[in-house]
Amino acid sequence: MKIKIDHVAKIEGHGGFIGEIVKGDVKAAIFMVNEGARLLEGILRDRHYEEASQIAARICGVCPVVHTLTSIKALEDAMDVAVASETIYLRKLLMLGQIINSHALHLFFFSLADFFGDKDDLALIKKFPSYTKNALQIRELGNFLIDKIGGRSIHPLAAEIGGFKKWPTEETLNEILKMAQAALPSAIRLANLFARLKYPDLQTSFNWASLVNENEYAIYEGKVRWNGKNEEEQIISEGAFMKLINEFQIKANPQTKRSHFEEEPYLVGALARLNNNASLLNLEAKKILELSGVKLPSRNPFHNILGQAVEIAHCVEEIVTLIGQRKELKLSKVKNAQWQPQIGRGYGAIEAPRGLLFYSYETKDNGDIKECNIITPTAQNIARLEEDLKAWLPDLSKKASRKRENMIKMLIRSYDPCLTCATH
Amino acid sequence: MPLRNKKPIIAVLGMTCCEGCRVAIVDLGERFLKLAGHIIVGDFPFIQEHAKKKSFDLTFIEGTPILPSQIEEIKEIRRRSKVLVPIGACACLGGIQEIKNYRGDKENCLQYVYKNVDQIANPDIKPISAYVPVDFELTGCPINKDELFEFTKKILAGDVFRVPQRPICYECQRKQNECLLQKGLPCIGPVILGGCGAPCPSVGYPCDGCRGPLQKTGKNFDNLKKILNNHGYNEREIEMITERFGGRDQIENKLKPQNTNENKN
Repeated sequence: MKIKIDHVAKIEGHGGFIGEIVKGDVKAAIFMVNEGARLLEGILRDRHYEEASQIAARICGVCPVVHTLTSIKALEDAMDVAVASETIYLRKLLMLGQIINSHALHLFFFSLADFFGDKDDLALIKKFPSYTKNALQIRELGNFLIDKIGGRSIHPLAAEIGGFKKWPTEETLNEILKMAQAALPSAIRLANLFARLKYPDLQTSFNWASLVNENEYAIYEGKVRWNGKNEEEQIISEGAFMKLINEFQIKANPQTKRSHFEEEPYLVGALARLNNNASLLNLEAKKILELSGVKLPSRNPFHNILGQAVEIAHCVEEIVTLIGQRKELKLSKVKNAQWQPQIGRGYGAIEAPRGLLFYSYETKDNGDIKECNIITPTAQNIARLEEDLKAWLPDLSKKASRKRENMIKMLIRSYDPCLTCATH
Repeated sequence: MPLRNKKPIIAVLGMTCCEGCRVAIVDLGERFLKLAGHIIVGDFPFIQEHAKKKSFDLTFIEGTPILPSQIEEIKEIRRRSKVLVPIGACACLGGIQEIKNYRGDKENCLQYVYKNVDQIANPDIKPISAYVPVDFELTGCPINKDELFEFTKKILAGDVFRVPQRPICYECQRKQNECLLQKGLPCIGPVILGGCGAPCPSVGYPCDGCRGPLQKTGKNFDNLKKILNNHGYNEREIEMITERFGGRDQIENKLKPQNTNENKN
């Protein structure tokens, strides 16, 4: 039996699926990414350190914050730049805005319709006008935060090596705080909707990886924790982990790399973070997780959707807490780090909405980029997604073709793949 | 090109890019939903599983063609669209992916990224207007969503929409920003088409030309280059800025300025 889906809509980018089953054996399960290669690593070479992170941001219009910041982190690592705690504070706020922003788009506009059989969001919006308002309110909070701290909601540009080009005022932070307090009930309400959804019961055995940080639910910094399916684990630095990732190409879809760690696919993203760090979630987020009845660690990839819902509540709570606690910070008096361009090699990792994002750079003596590598969350998740599809296809092959196709699309969307990131 | 249909059919489609421009459209939020009530969303894969229509009164398209299938598709989209409007720096200028053209070593770029380069498309990057005639362009990286909204409202009402031929400096000064060029930073705002609200210089980031040049820059670019030279920037450093969003060939008048900026009735 051959299964071919030319186009999976409502994901970021263009992709399809090709599957083949011969006498019950799955011969192929390939997520076909139909994006052109923009050759980002190739074009970043020889570029100026000031512009590299702005060019890198253009990898993704849904999650530009994470590309800018991870690129900056890797350059700071390469050129020994130590930033002030206030810089980290503002970057964390940007990250929180980015995550709620991206998750709200994926949960409400991409994935929710799968649970109600709607093919068009405009129909979904008519059916759920008040949840639509909730989703838009959360996105507006994310956009407002990124715009005010980052200078623009899509492709923000205030963050730079060593700090920020412009620091927000007290008044701006107060505005964000007010908006976040007002959005929290919406975030909880929307997340509760997802906590009560019935997820397909697909149990697969998988490895997963995320940042971990004993002080907080890790998003901006930490070590990488990898969990193997036989309960083994490794906790290593971001650079060490990145070096051990094996990126490879497949013949059928050569422009989009796949990745292995310890010679196997692994999952990154909200579910990986939840599996590793749920004990550090904020209060309301914990309640939502409890309401869902899902026990962690979960090995059901569909729970990535639930994980994102839980994280929306967590991140809005975190914005309220972080800004509420800011009294000890004096942003108006903060200075950017002093540093000199120099030869170096550096790594950066961050928890993008879709999972671990890695950058590595080598710089020349004037700070220009000499070498560069970028490993995106989706480039890591595709191999895992293909394993899940492989495991599920024999079951799915017994279903009617339309139902089968819908289930395949639903699983693909649950990963929230970003194909422009994956190919870059 | 006003659309006087009762319920015009609008599509939002894309080639290879970051997809930030279609995010910007969704970010219109309530305004987008209200607009959607007055039109038929013919094909917007971001929010629809299947296309509703095959032909469109107005098509917004972002990105640049890279895959051979995309080069075919853009011609097909042109045939199916009464009015075709490329949006964003990629579609109007070439975008960051055009940097490889200017480097002149695209094969080397490909080999740097991939061990196995078989079957990986690596064409020169060109804006949409290099493949098919276009009716209007809304540029920027990302687009200014308010500008796109105004454009859509006007065109639906049968009105003419113009992007005023004013440089970035116009809006930058109105915001009372300190002039970055005078401070010695490499800002190319004086020759770049305004309309974005100058978000970059407002946070101390010099304009790097994502909206492409004004229709007529005359000697202004040469004069700007002299100022930049005096600040210590050499020819190559200036080129790297104009190349960043693919606009160098337009700024240097090697390609017609992309911002036609006036829809003709």
